[in-house]
Amino acid sequence: MVGDRKSSGRRGSCVRPIETRYARSGDVRIAYQVVGQGSFDLVFVPGFISNLDLQWEDEGYSRLLKRLSAFSRLILFDKRGTGLSDRVDTRHLPSLETRMDDVRAVMDAAGSGRAALLGASEGAPMAMLFAATYPERTRALALYGGYAHFHKWVMPAERLEAFIETAETSWGTGATLPNFAPGRVDDTHFGQWWARFERLSASPTAAAALTRMNAGIDVRGILSAISAPTLLIHRRNDARVDPEASRFLARKIHGARLVEIPGRDHPIWTGDVDRVADLVEEFLTGQPAVADTERVLAALLVTRIYDTTKLGDRMWSERSQRFQETWRLLVGRHGGRVAGTHSELMISRFDGPARAIRCAAALRDAAQQIGVASAQGVHVGEIEMRGQPVGLTARVTMQLATHAGRGDILASRLVAELAIGSGLHFVDAGRVSLDELGEPLPVVKATSEQHLEPACRPKPKAMEAAALTARESEVVSLIADGMSNAAIAAELKLSEHTVKRHVANILLKLDLPSRAAAAAFSARQAGPDGP
Amino acid sequence: MLTKTQTVDGAAIKKAIEGRDGKMLSSFYNDDALVRVIDRNNPPSRPREIRGRAAISIFWDDICSRAMTHKVDTAIADGDNLAFTQACAYPDGTKVFCAAMLELKNGRIARQTVVQAWDE
Repeated sequence: MVGDRKSSGRRGSCVRPIETRYARSGDVRIAYQVVGQGSFDLVFVPGFISNLDLQWEDEGYSRLLKRLSAFSRLILFDKRGTGLSDRVDTRHLPSLETRMDDVRAVMDAAGSGRAALLGASEGAPMAMLFAATYPERTRALALYGGYAHFHKWVMPAERLEAFIETAETSWGTGATLPNFAPGRVDDTHFGQWWARFERLSASPTAAAALTRMNAGIDVRGILSAISAPTLLIHRRNDARVDPEASRFLARKIHGARLVEIPGRDHPIWTGDVDRVADLVEEFLTGQPAVADTERVLAALLVTRIYDTTKLGDRMWSERSQRFQETWRLLVGRHGGRVAGTHSELMISRFDGPARAIRCAAALRDAAQQIGVASAQGVHVGEIEMRGQPVGLTARVTMQLATHAGRGDILASRLVAELAIGSGLHFVDAGRVSLDELGEPLPVVKATSEQHLEPACRPKPKAMEAAALTARESEVVSLIADGMSNAAIAAELKLSEHTVKRHVANILLKLDLPSRAAAAAFSARQAGPDGP
Repeated sequence: MLTKTQTVDGAAIKKAIEGRDGKMLSSFYNDDALVRVIDRNNPPSRPREIRGRAAISIFWDDICSRAMTHKVDTAIADGDNLAFTQACAYPDGTKVFCAAMLELKNGRIARQTVVQAWDE
């Protein structure tokens, strides 16, 4: 078990980084990682594409791997032709048997004589073939979103070419995301990760070749040869693989148990990752996952865009997306953690209230720059470590954000009390009645100094010298020379009365209080060659 | 059975562990034995508990299926109590170190507590 990766990232940074090693399978090198120190080995057989390095950068993926490596010695690898493993000749694609044998090669290299296999998506038929071929080395089989026949349960032959064309023409842009995780298409951060995931997992040619290779998968004939205890997990509305695929496996694999869970996103590391990990853990250890009910004290910040109706749909969508990207960036920059979105509410989590308030202030400024107004709520309380905050603290914070006015950062008074000494400023904002609290909650508005609106409007920009007539400009430069009205009148052959009138006009036009100020103005206007 | 007559002592445990003989190891336990494992992921207030010989057999089968080396040292016997240390290494060099305290009952292991740590 490797607690370092199970615990928070803060600790993870000071321990040994995960080493990537290479197993030799025939002439090909297969990249693998070993994580954790559980008493049994668990090999994760990934689906379509993978990248050992990149998967730790996605929150859901690393969460899944941390959960699995907390009760097992987890062995991860990239299939040949993908990720960090050797590329393959796309004109001579390896058979499923060859790829399955890569599992054996990796197990040999990692010193694993017998292991449980977790096969996800395309990894499932590989894992099934392994279990049928090497029963003595298969401790158990957990199959997520798996299938035995590609065309029957993933994609009919007539749709395959269209998918391959998409893959070939727009590979690396994340264009395949809607095919796998429609629930995440609005998550631009994840969309960008997915595009990198495509680029770093396979080249466009390899992606098309892998798809053709997978299209040939048909392991229906070997299912009866599987003797290992088998658990099947499938999301009821899986967008990629028909749940009927796992129902078929449940009928054909002796003693297999099928658990259908809610959800439609297909990749095992998206959606409710903990639900999948719980099922796998209970199946493999024989004991229910210890409910990870650890609660921590945290400051929650809920951000929303105020008054959405004034913007047209298109502009709203553009600005809202920009604001959401900025939100992710700023939350990270202030040491917080994006904890998810709840319809139009953006929820983030911080270790302390001052950080949450500072982030809120930065978000308010950012919103203004983008051309929207924010309304935010901040509250402190205990939240569940696991998953998106859903408890009372989260609900109270969300209601504060809903109550907050345009540009406001509405916080519970508790936040202000805890932030004493932080240099932040708050003003009393009365009490707010919230649905679930018996008594109205005392609230404050945060006004951190550095983000205050300017106390008074800046003076209107002084008029340009160009606003003066040619004669007035002459008068100004003579004033600057220290000449009296009479002297100027003589110089310009004007009456003193006319000069007086010119001076009055100049002061009015330039919004200046005196002749001296006009002289100073003239001096400022002087370029290198004089006025 | 032959294994039933095997005396459970430091030398027998050393031989079984170092020889990765899961079957032999399992035979050293009473039917209702309890093995508790305390490590980084299983803290003292919530140790991992493996109850009964069947579960303990699976535990040792898993451990012994790995191509790793084990070295048992410093076995100390005191009446029905036995203690030993165990240094293990994976093929990739990762090391694990365990200290085990055993209570014997009727010549077999009734209770075992393992405290372990590993490279990370």
